[in-house]
Amino acid sequence: MSELNYVGKSWRRKDGPAKVTGKAVYTQDVRLPNMLIGRILRSPHPHARIVRIDTSRAKALPGVKAVITVDDTKGIKHGFVETPRYPPDQEVLARGKVVHVGEEVAAVAAVDQVTAQRALELVDVEYEPLPAVFEPEEAMQPGAPEIHPSHPKFVGPYSNIGGNTDTAWGDVEKGFAESDYVREDRFECQLRTHGYLEPHATLAQWENDKLNVWTSSMGVFVKRAKLAKTLGLPYSSVRIHKTYVGGTFGGKIDLYSHEYCAARLSMITGRPVQIVASREEIFSAYRHAQPLILEIKTGVKKDGTLVAQRIRAINNAGAYRGSGVVVIFLAWGFTMIPYRIPNLKYEGLSVYTNHTVRAPQRGHGAPKVRFAIESQLDMIAEALGIDPITIRLRNARGSGERLPNGDNTHHCGLPDCIRLAAEKSDFLIKFGRDRKSPPEGTIRRGIGIGVSAYMGGTLIYPNGSGVIVKMNDDGSAVVLTGAIDIGQGSETVISQIVAEELAIGMDDIKIISADTDVTPQDIGAWISGMTYVTGNAARQAASNAREKLRQVAAEKMSVPAEHLLLKDKVVYDRVNPELRMTYREVIAHSIATRRGDTIIGEGYWRTMRDEPTHPSLATTKGRWTENYAFSTQVAEVEVDIETGEARLVKALTVHDCGFPINPALVKGQIDGQVSMALGHAFMEQVLTKGGYTLNPNWLDYQMPTIHNMAISEDVDVITEQYCVGQPYRTKEVGEGLISGILAAMGNAVYDATGVRLHSTPFTAEKILVGLKHLQYQAKTARSTQIKSVGA
Amino acid sequence: MDVTTGGIATRTRSTSRLISLCVNSEWHEIAVKPRSTLVEVIRETIGLTGTKASCESGICGACTVLLNGRPVLACITLAVECDGKQIRTVEGLADGEKLTAIQEAFLDQGAIQCGFCTPGMLMSATALLRDNPTPTREEINKALEGNLCRCTGYNSIVDAVLQASGQGVKPVMK
Repeated sequence: MSELNYVGKSWRRKDGPAKVTGKAVYTQDVRLPNMLIGRILRSPHPHARIVRIDTSRAKALPGVKAVITVDDTKGIKHGFVETPRYPPDQEVLARGKVVHVGEEVAAVAAVDQVTAQRALELVDVEYEPLPAVFEPEEAMQPGAPEIHPSHPKFVGPYSNIGGNTDTAWGDVEKGFAESDYVREDRFECQLRTHGYLEPHATLAQWENDKLNVWTSSMGVFVKRAKLAKTLGLPYSSVRIHKTYVGGTFGGKIDLYSHEYCAARLSMITGRPVQIVASREEIFSAYRHAQPLILEIKTGVKKDGTLVAQRIRAINNAGAYRGSGVVVIFLAWGFTMIPYRIPNLKYEGLSVYTNHTVRAPQRGHGAPKVRFAIESQLDMIAEALGIDPITIRLRNARGSGERLPNGDNTHHCGLPDCIRLAAEKSDFLIKFGRDRKSPPEGTIRRGIGIGVSAYMGGTLIYPNGSGVIVKMNDDGSAVVLTGAIDIGQGSETVISQIVAEELAIGMDDIKIISADTDVTPQDIGAWISGMTYVTGNAARQAASNAREKLRQVAAEKMSVPAEHLLLKDKVVYDRVNPELRMTYREVIAHSIATRRGDTIIGEGYWRTMRDEPTHPSLATTKGRWTENYAFSTQVAEVEVDIETGEARLVKALTVHDCGFPINPALVKGQIDGQVSMALGHAFMEQVLTKGGYTLNPNWLDYQMPTIHNMAISEDVDVITEQYCVGQPYRTKEVGEGLISGILAAMGNAVYDATGVRLHSTPFTAEKILVGLKHLQYQAKTARSTQIKSVGA
Repeated sequence: MDVTTGGIATRTRSTSRLISLCVNSEWHEIAVKPRSTLVEVIRETIGLTGTKASCESGICGACTVLLNGRPVLACITLAVECDGKQIRTVEGLADGEKLTAIQEAFLDQGAIQCGFCTPGMLMSATALLRDNPTPTREEINKALEGNLCRCTGYNSIVDAVLQASGQGVKPVMK
């Protein structure tokens, strides 16, 4: 294997200089002459019939240029998922009724924000409130208010079940019968928001039959497809331009109504229209994640070997389908990947309620599933008298195992991850220490572990990525990629791969990215596959250019191409290194002798080239990916038993991400996920009442600040190699690592206090109640003992 | 708050006032509404969009600029209050192509991901390092407690401040 110069090394970000100097242009920074400001009128009711809308007073206000309702649209529906089973279900503006607080009812464009805001107040909407339902288990009951009466009934008579996933592996009943120990638990998670710093923003400009759009997104090609569809335009008439993106975490994927409204208002007025959501709007009306209820029954042998597991997941899916039917599908994946369980049964239900629509959120269900499974696994281990490390090692999958969906784990580093996590954290020395001999004072320390696995690059539109590498006359290169850098560092990683394959410097590469008219199609930054899928496309494109350079040089130098090596923009003969040509010379020769070929490389990639389409959301049949990442995380927490307050002190992440193209960027992903997970564990919760958000700002919704920072250490178990000219396998690292650490924190709270929490967040109140309960139990046990002694 | 209109108050129309602002060593004479915020004026009137607007209620720190050398939240500072004052934004940190030590340190430590909090973080850190060239971790935490970052988990940001203040933290990226 030749020495690697660019991949596997921590290069500084390509976009770094623009970001530290204020030159990075985000969507809200783009200004066009004659620009109008758009605003959205939203529903004040969780469920109501729209009796009438009168926009005449708003339209008459000086400075108002257009007001639209659903009657000004083509009535074309869209959805996060658009399949025959789950057809598009959402209009861009409400038609006839509203189904959640904050639903978009009308939009205005005016000369400035003040006028636009006043215009909203002048739109008269008459509503007739309807009964609403907010809890999924209530919504599933017969007689509950029906949110979408026309939708198909997927599960028996239950009207609000908007989708279900049913699947099995082995024979779960037989498995339970063969088990030595079986337990059942129920876990719940709170509603959390993404917390991207950059608000949702869109600028649309309709000019010469072309719609130009700048929008904060996670993938420009998905936005183009959905905008073009709802506007009734060919894709060639819609161009999404690149902007920097100020954080997404899952919350900026699907089409959002403000994007449609900005576009439609621009088409009507002939002027550019900008819409920027306020933070209150984002909290109150935009999409948050999906709170899951998980019922788990698990059977094991005496030695901790898993025999059977049955999981039922109920998703509070909000008022439209959103990604609700995807999260219940994915939850099966997060169940089946890490451990060898011969008998599994899974049922997922996505239930409509009168809440805002749901979006994916970093991990897309994994944190909730792993929290539940890993918590229960610790309870099982304790009941059997086994330690948390042993039970995990006993069941962890290894390399080359076939998963229930037909996929293969390939090189699986999970057993090493568990062993190293235990060793590096002194897990078994620390575990149980404060429970066995409580220290002086009120602070108790606990340690906990969690395992997780995540898939990358599963097929969903646009399914694959293309990359073009254009050589310049001087041997430098321009890379065209549809990949969007949302902060993860895709432009840096792609540059490193191109530099390695082409033997040119990082500074020789300029990236043109995320522009639907200029760059090739790309999967987008939302299915955890960019480094693998777009990266391999970049590798292939650069490799294609390299082989052209080699061929041309071979002809000119009269040496077999395979004798030629490339280094620092020079091609030379490995036998006689004096025989050499600079890239500049090779390219000039190519142009002169090959009909002007300036050397352009093309590359394309997708996962599972032998698999025609994505797996079934209903049955999970069909393969998912060849790309599974594994991890084990350890949390050390401190709990104040007087106040109930708990905090993460230290996190250790041991993970198998295949081959790290840029280790420092990998570490950045780990640290960010640990921070987000500790928010999930201890701080964050969107509070709602009657569909209204009660804490629509960052004072009342507390995200981690610098004071909540925890020590975050990591160890990379490297299971793949990178060889120039060969396909490589990198694995997921951007969202799976938010899961094991959440589970680990729950287990660590138990280790510190003996309080087992079945729901997140682990608030001070819950921990105090748990401690009181333990005291009461201890007292009762003592008095029972005394009584029995007395008797 | 009014959920139907996104919680933005309708402002009354009023007469503009003429003020002078010195932004990054350049004087601007600008007509502003009495209720215009400093972030609106910097971004929309002067056209320096490096300063970010995120929560617009003084919580997240993304709009932090230096006003006569002190970090302020430009989204809750009225522009009229800044008449005759010196303002420094992220665009005014580097000397031409030459970045300041804290800007370099952010690049070296991977203290940037999406970059949206970065301008505000840099301004808070710049003010800290000017007053306290070798801050402790606790002092760094105190100085940056008003700046939210959702991407990094803050560790790399603290390391960047330690690197910039020459306290033995080595670059992790090259």
